[in-house]
Parts: sequence; structure tokens; C-alpha cells
Amino acid sequence: MYKLLNTATATTESFMVQNGKIYLVMTIVSIILIGLFIYVASVDKKLTQLEKK
Amino acid sequence: MLRAKWWKVLSFVLLLYTCTYGFLVKVPKLDDRLQESIRNFFFHVPMWFGMMILFFVSLVYAVKFLRSGNLVHDVYSFAFASMGLVFGTLGIITGAVWANYQWGSPWVGDPKQNGAAIALLIYFAYFVLRGSLLDVEKRARLSAVYNIFSFFMLFPTLWILPRLTESLHPGGKGSEGNPGINGKDMSATMRTVFYPAVIGWTLLGVWISTIRIRIQLLQLKKDELL
Repeated sequence: MYKLLNTATATTESFMVQNGKIYLVMTIVSIILIGLFIYVASVDKKLTQLEKK
Repeated sequence: MLRAKWWKVLSFVLLLYTCTYGFLVKVPKLDDRLQESIRNFFFHVPMWFGMMILFFVSLVYAVKFLRSGNLVHDVYSFAFASMGLVFGTLGIITGAVWANYQWGSPWVGDPKQNGAAIALLIYFAYFVLRGSLLDVEKRARLSAVYNIFSFFMLFPTLWILPRLTESLHPGGKGSEGNPGINGKDMSATMRTVFYPAVIGWTLLGVWISTIRIRIQLLQLKKDELL
């Protein structure tokens, strides 16, 4: 199991540093985007609750 | 429509696609002056497309308000203009950063840069006008009229004048075609990301606008103006 995890990290790591680490930038931009959408969605939800009152 | 979910999910999916495949898609090399920075087309350019679309929606609601006198239309018009201006501001900032590395200076006085700055200033005055009027009815009426003026100022500042002179932007005098209308100037692979990006960013802008609209409508109801 430990060995399996190790190879998994190894492959992710080698993937992340390919092509001048562009995948790293891609991952970070995606995280920001997901975070932003979660926030906007939560504001939307709160507003819906206010409107129901 | 304000509370529908499907297009918010669509916006998320399209932007996630843009922010992943946008980095992976093969881009043309040409003479390699732009290198990978051509990928800014998926981020910088959709800001302007989004701005124009949101300003157009704002214009439609301004005309609707003038025809109906219904304050709800004013609320819509204002929210879309605000979000359009957010996109425009982000567009000009991202453009300055890109220009700094591509053209050597953040502001090179390119006709399109100058035109965009003028267009944004005209829209900034829309908010000054709104802020200076306290009477709700008068504010709505005057700002709707001014909104129509500011939208039509986009024609000379962004769409006509920059194309009549030589420009560092695509589509200036001497360069073939009109990239604003002729999408063939972009490689087919880039178009598979560019158009989804435009739709995705615009829908995100619409979403944020609707949140603004809903807050404003609640406020109006509370103040018993509706």
C-alpha cells in the first residue's frame, strides 16, 4: 500500500513538473476558479434564503 | 431566470474547461514573438467581449426603463453596467501587464488602448451621475439617457477609430481582415477554447449581476419603493 502511494505521488510529481511546470499553473488557476465559484454560489444561496423571508 | 441553476453550472464547466484546456491546447508558433502569451486570448479578450455584452444588456434595460418607467428595469440596467465596468477594468489591467512584456511598456499609447480608456472613463461618469442624484426617479431617468449615450460611444472609441490607424492590436490599418468579426484570423484549435471562454466569462458576469439585482430589489422592497 505504502509503495502504491509512493508511486502515485511520484507520478503526480513528475506530471506536475512537465513542460516547464505549466500543469502546476493550470492546477493553481483551477483551484482559484473553484474557490471563486464556491464563494459566489454561497452568496447566491444566502440571498435566496433572505428572499424567502 | 434570475434564480435558474443550469446556466450557472454551464458557466463553471466552461471556465473550468478554459482554465485547464486553455493551458494545454496547441497554439500556433508563428515567429515566436508571442510565445505562450497568446493564451491570454482566453482570459484578456473575453473580458472585453463580456464587457460589451453586459453593456449591451444594460442599454436594453435603460431603453426599457425609459419606455415603462418601471424602477425594476433601472435596477437591471445599473447592475449590468457595473459588472461590465468590472470586466472592462480587468481587461485594461490585464492588457497593461501583457503590454509591459510584449510591447515594452504598460501603456504604449496604442489607439485601442487609448480608445478603451476613454470608453471606460465615459462609463465611470455614469456612476458619478448616479451618485450625484438623490431622487430615485430622476436618477433612473437621467442615468438611462446617459447610458444610451455611453453605449454608443463604444462605436467610435473601440470599434471604429482603432481600426482606422495602425495599431499593435489585431485589426488595425494595414492588417488584413477584422478580427472583431472575422474569427478566421484565429487558429481552429484556439477557437475551441476561445468561444467557450467568452461564453463562460460572460455568464459569470451575468451571475454576479443577478446577485446585485436581487440585493437591490430587496432593498427597494424594504424602502417600499416597489
